[in-house]
Amino acid sequence: MSWGMADDDKSVERRDFLKTAGATAAAATTAVTAGCVSGGGEETTTEGDGDDGGNGDGSDGGDGDDGGSMSGTLVYARGDHPENYDPQQTTSGEVAKVTNQIYDQLIQFQPGSGGALTDGLAKADGWELSGQTATLQLKEDVTFHDGSDFTAADVKATIRRFTDENYSNYLGTENASGYAGFTFGNWIDDIDASSEYEVEFTLTQKYAPFLRNLAMFAAAILSQDQITSLDDQTQLGTNPIGTGPFEFDELDNANQRVRLTGNGDYFGEGPNVSEVIFKTIGQNSSRAQDVINGDSHITDNLDAESSSSIEESDTAQIKSKPGINTGYMAFNMARVEAFRDRKVRRAVSLAVNTEAIVNDIYQGFAVQTGQPLPEGVMGRNPNVDPYPTDKDQAQTLLEEAGATDLSFELATFSNPRGYNPSPIQTANQVKSDLESIGMSVEVNQFSTFSSYLEYTSAGKHDACFLGWYTDNADPDNFLYVLLDPKVDMDAVPDGQDWVSFDTEGYSTLNVGGWANTDYMQLVRDAQQSYDESARKQKYQQASKLAHDEAPWVFVDHAKTLRGINEAVSSSSFTVSSVGGPFLELVELN
Amino acid sequence: MVSKRFVLKRLMLLVPVLFGVATFVFAILHLAGGDPARIIVGQRASEETVRQVQRELGLNDPILVQYGRFLLDVIQFDFGNSYQISKGNPVRDVLATRLPVTVELALYGQTVGLLLGIPLGILSAVKQDSLLDHTTRVGALAGISVPIYWSGPILILLFAGYFDIFPAAGRIGSTIFLDNQWTLAFDVGQYTVTIARDLPLTGMVTIDTLLLGREEAFFSAVMHLFLPVVTIGVYSMALISRMMRSSMLEVIRQDYMRTARAKGQGAKITIMKHGFRNAMIPVITVVGIQFGTLLGGAVLTETVFGIGGIGTLIVDAIGATDYPVVQGAVLTFALLFTLVNLGVDITYSYLDPRIQQ
Repeated sequence: MSWGMADDDKSVERRDFLKTAGATAAAATTAVTAGCVSGGGEETTTEGDGDDGGNGDGSDGGDGDDGGSMSGTLVYARGDHPENYDPQQTTSGEVAKVTNQIYDQLIQFQPGSGGALTDGLAKADGWELSGQTATLQLKEDVTFHDGSDFTAADVKATIRRFTDENYSNYLGTENASGYAGFTFGNWIDDIDASSEYEVEFTLTQKYAPFLRNLAMFAAAILSQDQITSLDDQTQLGTNPIGTGPFEFDELDNANQRVRLTGNGDYFGEGPNVSEVIFKTIGQNSSRAQDVINGDSHITDNLDAESSSSIEESDTAQIKSKPGINTGYMAFNMARVEAFRDRKVRRAVSLAVNTEAIVNDIYQGFAVQTGQPLPEGVMGRNPNVDPYPTDKDQAQTLLEEAGATDLSFELATFSNPRGYNPSPIQTANQVKSDLESIGMSVEVNQFSTFSSYLEYTSAGKHDACFLGWYTDNADPDNFLYVLLDPKVDMDAVPDGQDWVSFDTEGYSTLNVGGWANTDYMQLVRDAQQSYDESARKQKYQQASKLAHDEAPWVFVDHAKTLRGINEAVSSSSFTVSSVGGPFLELVELN
Repeated sequence: MVSKRFVLKRLMLLVPVLFGVATFVFAILHLAGGDPARIIVGQRASEETVRQVQRELGLNDPILVQYGRFLLDVIQFDFGNSYQISKGNPVRDVLATRLPVTVELALYGQTVGLLLGIPLGILSAVKQDSLLDHTTRVGALAGISVPIYWSGPILILLFAGYFDIFPAAGRIGSTIFLDNQWTLAFDVGQYTVTIARDLPLTGMVTIDTLLLGREEAFFSAVMHLFLPVVTIGVYSMALISRMMRSSMLEVIRQDYMRTARAKGQGAKITIMKHGFRNAMIPVITVVGIQFGTLLGGAVLTETVFGIGGIGTLIVDAIGATDYPVVQGAVLTFALLFTLVNLGVDITYSYLDPRIQQ
């Protein structure tokens, strides 16, 4: 007779067994007496590397090697441990970096490209966007981790679960993330999945970024079999089943870990490691030390200090790329009359020393900017420079505007975010710069980001800090989403370039009330244009207009940093700007 | 002997305490602002969607209605489902997973505090104004004064970074997972019979690894818990040793101590037999209160060392405006704290039966 644990079949002597049995009984008692019951934010951050942000051309990523040989366990350390891995229920980047290993999208971002598109579950060159119709040819012989075949029906079920209130397996408004409407719901009128390997979307309007939306993490394709088998859709995230390079294996909430195992039948390239473990260490310095020690192989969301400690070590290195994000200070024109004068906004932009903010406060982990779009995204205007710091000119403009004694409130969040790693220090720099030209600034600090968003969404601030990480590396994702008020053109009174927050259709993602009709026309036309060069031109004009009109103080674009232990083959890991991390490509030395 | 009436009276006192804590937590959360609906659906959702989610979660109901609903659920130890941290899952389940993590850390921390604090306190008292006494005093003051968010990273820097003896974070090796399924296989003639069972685990890694006979995992757990336990234990040790010293100094001067010595009893025996038990009474009180501090300290320790207990959970839940999780976690802390203090009261009355009168 032999006793052994199921996982390693370790044989145990009789004496050890008796000891263990006794201890087990004690454990059971402990568990009962302890009354234990067994069971079981930050917005999505997709970071940029600054390559072409235009629409992808469907370049062939190549079919994979059917899994190849997998060896080793890759440990990825992160700062937070969510307990639900349903891509439709979250806005968290921490969830996305796990679900991106488990699921595939129809179209995907090319690793390391900064936003170029490549084939996912749709065939290479198998997608077309024409008028209000998008047609995609799907790959055959792709299977889900439970062995079921992937077909167009899965695509339809996935999107209906997310957006269709009439679908019997609808996730529910209180459970579906804001990506439901943002990614699909606002743009899709109908889905035809009558053919097994072709899916056709009828759009509500011409919408150029649609294919890029299909590559977003929230557009991950779920299994229809799993969707229909669930009584409670909220439970999908505790056992996600996808087609991706890694299969979900274990969610260890007590130790804040997730274990994935390599999918040997993966249709794409990789995976090269047999197991990926996501572990959680909230403190940046501890996480960095863990990578230095080799207990973890890759980490992210590092601050300047932790990055330095990794850089100075012999066992790990920092990899960085320009990010596709933006950090800014918005003027609330709907609330502060003085901000409706362009001269005042420009004066503030000239007075705030953004160069000092980026170099001294953010310690060079970001680049200074003068427009909404970061380097590499289509439509960034190469002829627009950051505002110089010129307090004399700022003073002159204020005098011309008759606003020399302006005082206002500057709302800020407290916890670091990628695009603003030191919000309080940044607010104090702004305050000091503006007070030196006679303005009076009261910093209003919020302890939680949710209360901050509630405040700014209601338009209660005079001015506020905010920022944005791209979802799909499309210029529309910045210029339309953040600076267009989404109201009817007619709702903007003649000669006025702002609207109040209660205007019908107003989107509070525009936290300044700015409603410049010339700008709105440009970005709305560009959104519906499938001619890439015409689109690019419109976005460049819009970027210049935004710079000149200064609805924001344009502050920075943060770099994307990753700490990598020497155990990782350096050439196999690419810092991803959007999508990813592409752990299926990673090899261990 | 501790009377039942005494215990019952103390238990009855738990009700108003927990009611007060529940009310306080509810009020603070709702006064603090922050919109859970906005956090659930994210920045990208429209205002209309946010309002719909608010309606569906009952966040638009009058505050008294929400409060009544909350109390009704709390009585049944039901905190509802998590809004964000463990979206859709009952808070009760989340707490059940995380609670043993914090309790394990606090228990070991308290043990270190007691094992070091009591002997040091006694020695300091017996050798009053000696070098040992002064050294202990300086050490204790340092232990109390240095905040965990500083001492934790310093220990990591030294012992995980410079000396590379202990791991920097976590409770167990990254690649070690505990499988609680056991199989019993035995041969019956030409057949092999296999019985597989899931056995309950405690959620405390040091105990579970022993139960499963996983020596390498147990060693890994001990190495991982060493630094956090020392961080939290030193703080506890400092206070206990100071309290033990002053209490013992007072006891040493009592008449009965002098009488025992006059009867010819040795100094060590007199101190341990007559002095120790009497000197322990105020120390036990401190230990009870200290346990609450340790739970609070666990918030910092867990964050620094990447340990996912209730402390980390509270911090994350506050950041995510996950009302049900914050309410559940704080009430669990309060319940734990009051139960420990009940235990202290009982021990106290055992040591000094006059207290029951």
